[in-house]
Amino acid sequence: MSWRIAAPVAEFGCFRSAFQFPWVVGVCAMQIFLVPIFAQETSGGLKGLSLQQLGEIEVTTATKQPVQVNRTPAAIYVITQEDIRRSGATSLPEALRLAPGVDVARIDSVKWSIGIRGFGSRLSRAVLVLIDGRTVYSPLFHGVYWEVQDTMMEDIERIEVIRGPGGTIWGANAVDGVINIITKRAKDTHGALIAGGGGGTNQAFGEARYGGQAGDVNYRVYGKGFDRGPEEHTDNSNFDDWRREQAGFRTDWTPDNHDSVTVQGDIYKSSMGESNRIFSLTAPFSYISNQVAELSGGNVIASWDRTEDDGSGFHLQTYFDRVNRSQSTQAEYRDTFDFDFVHHFKLLRTQFTWGVGARISLGFVPQIVPTYFFNPNRRTDQLYSFFVQDEIPIVGDKLHLTIGSKVLHSAFAGFDVEPSARLLWAPSGKTSFWAAATRAVRTPSDIEEDLTQISLRNTSPLAYTLASSDPNFQSEVLLGYEAGYRRLISKQFSLDFTSFRNYYSRLSSVEVGQPFLVDSSGSVPYMVYPVTNGNGVKGTTTGFEIIPNWKPASWWRVQPSYSYLHMDLSTLATSTDRGTVASLEGSSPQHQVMIQSYLDLPKKFEFSQTYRYVSSLPAQSVGAYHTVDARVAWHPNRHLEFAVTGQNLLQPHHYEFGGDPGPLVGIRRNFFASVTWRQ
Amino acid sequence: MKSASVKRFAPCVAALLAGILALPLPGQNSKQAAKFNEYQVKAAYLKNFVQFVDWPADSAGAPNEPYPICVLGADPFGAALDGALSGESVNHHPLIPRRLANAKQATSCRVLYISSDEAEVRRGLSAVENASILTVSDYPEFLDRGGMIQFVIDNNHVRFEISLIAARKVGLTLSSELLKIARSVRMNQ
Repeated sequence: MSWRIAAPVAEFGCFRSAFQFPWVVGVCAMQIFLVPIFAQETSGGLKGLSLQQLGEIEVTTATKQPVQVNRTPAAIYVITQEDIRRSGATSLPEALRLAPGVDVARIDSVKWSIGIRGFGSRLSRAVLVLIDGRTVYSPLFHGVYWEVQDTMMEDIERIEVIRGPGGTIWGANAVDGVINIITKRAKDTHGALIAGGGGGTNQAFGEARYGGQAGDVNYRVYGKGFDRGPEEHTDNSNFDDWRREQAGFRTDWTPDNHDSVTVQGDIYKSSMGESNRIFSLTAPFSYISNQVAELSGGNVIASWDRTEDDGSGFHLQTYFDRVNRSQSTQAEYRDTFDFDFVHHFKLLRTQFTWGVGARISLGFVPQIVPTYFFNPNRRTDQLYSFFVQDEIPIVGDKLHLTIGSKVLHSAFAGFDVEPSARLLWAPSGKTSFWAAATRAVRTPSDIEEDLTQISLRNTSPLAYTLASSDPNFQSEVLLGYEAGYRRLISKQFSLDFTSFRNYYSRLSSVEVGQPFLVDSSGSVPYMVYPVTNGNGVKGTTTGFEIIPNWKPASWWRVQPSYSYLHMDLSTLATSTDRGTVASLEGSSPQHQVMIQSYLDLPKKFEFSQTYRYVSSLPAQSVGAYHTVDARVAWHPNRHLEFAVTGQNLLQPHHYEFGGDPGPLVGIRRNFFASVTWRQ
Repeated sequence: MKSASVKRFAPCVAALLAGILALPLPGQNSKQAAKFNEYQVKAAYLKNFVQFVDWPADSAGAPNEPYPICVLGADPFGAALDGALSGESVNHHPLIPRRLANAKQATSCRVLYISSDEAEVRRGLSAVENASILTVSDYPEFLDRGGMIQFVIDNNHVRFEISLIAARKVGLTLSSELLKIARSVRMNQ
């Protein structure tokens, strides 16, 4: 058994999935396969059909039986295109709600908080997110701007969600988890697709794609756009109106049997309503500004895969990414250039992989308000990395060891090492155990090194908090230990169990300095309470995830899951931090329960529903909630789909996460209809 | 569906639905009426594959020599395979179905379908390791194990993936048409 370069996508730009992180590929084995049950009638009607026509015939499948458990030595969950379609998800965060153990909370219409195994936050600070091998992690705020990450949902092949550290392969910031979004190859998106709909908060949306082939080149182009309305505001501020347009393309050129070259790109433009508190040194000192932020950007990725007859090969990828953000309190203009090379080959009986990477990010962060600025406001950040990994079969197919390490160099933090060791034991095709020990780091970002932020502490007597950054801030470090067990119990039932204990050190803290009085002539004297960031928090997170998969019948699949998380953080004796521990511990749910059900009904109807329970987030003043999403779809033929989706059905609105300066924003019950036509 | 915004947007949605309904529906007159069992379709694929494979000149066989299409392990096709092959020939080679009792018999096959079972796959592939035989299976990691064509079910459609290097290793040439239709073509292992 090899869980190396194996995925069908390996040659076609599934970059880190297949080449840099070979064991992920075993996931393709998770596909549920089919075992024949009943005798056949005559297949005379199929005789005259061509290969192409055969591929277009809809078939009934007998009882589905997973023949083998997934043998990836990591806590990985794959959201398939089918899951996404049947959930009715219209955005990436909505699709990520389908992954067990991922904490996805909607802040308002536009903004999300996403965490894996704790540390949920507006920008998912230690989760690395990749779209077709392009890192969408922002070096300014150490996080992901979820509101600008999008693609055609129909063109996503799958989303791989890795809970736990993946630093050895993916490098910096793959600490709590990795989210790897992989779009289909252009070959799989031939023909036209037009879809649209609206209703509820999803006021209107539409999209179109066309794909085809010219000689050795397969291509597609797409465009999409939507208008989204505000969620529930008790103060009627309704600031979170959102409008977005995006277009993109992908071309895959396969000149011969050894090479494949992909060029792809996207461009987007978005007007996002947001609410920010703005502080000033003169009256009114503090006010809330509801404005529209203008966000735009784009990217181009070029990659080349070469594979030799002996199975060795390389992947070469480079991309350019531009981000423009113009908001009421800040602005950011950033160009990122990235280069990656990965080479793999057989070394004795082992599979050896090595790679180098370089990323250069040029950011300009002009000052918009006097109380919030970066110094310097132009900065070029460089990140260099090198990794080696070897997969060693120890006892034939049964026992595998994967060891490796990444070495990173960033201007922020100097050198960092991210080693890992993973062991897989599969005594039979139906059972596997795995264990892993990993070190991963989150490198410092601009806000921890260059930001000065002044906020009002008290109006009478006048006092400000002055938050400045510390150029000596070090990388946050995780030492993670994981173990997992997978078992195929019967044809209908399988189980995936994972447990973890993570040791965090040097987590970011807020260090309080000595207050001082500013009494310059001609203005009101005020107190200044200085704070700066430090590495003063450490601790552990412990937890487990249980993910059974039950298929009671060929037309019904049930996917329940439960995740438990216990965060036990503390402040170092040397630290003056007061609030960080409570804030981190109280922003991720301790319990999450999800039950997904996918039903195929007669007359070409299908019904899917998701129930979820999320326990309370005291630091966000958000209580525990449970709710249900449901979707009914009808396919009169293979070209058309009509669907009605209902979200958050159990209550008129509920709260999921804080973050906006006003009262909590309620997430509404939402209905929308859609229709899709495929050529 | 009673919220005010639904009412507000209902006309847009209705217009959109109407617009899309007006599009031509090429599928309605095609062969969509009857749903087939997946193994009927797979049997038809096996027959079709033969047309798109070139065997090395030294093993093409004498004219009129039958080409056995073999099944190793539990037979999922039943009568469907016999039906699909009856009366069919490729380049004057009649196609005949053959159920194998054990892997050793596989060397006489042109196409070897191996049932989706780890042990059968291992035995079958090692039995035909250097022979010019097209290997096919539903087994999920078939291509990883050195197989050539793996069936996959994609949204209730039968598709297949190809490992070109496995075919080339034993001198089989797969036509570009076959590669074009494959859901994916793997050029390495």
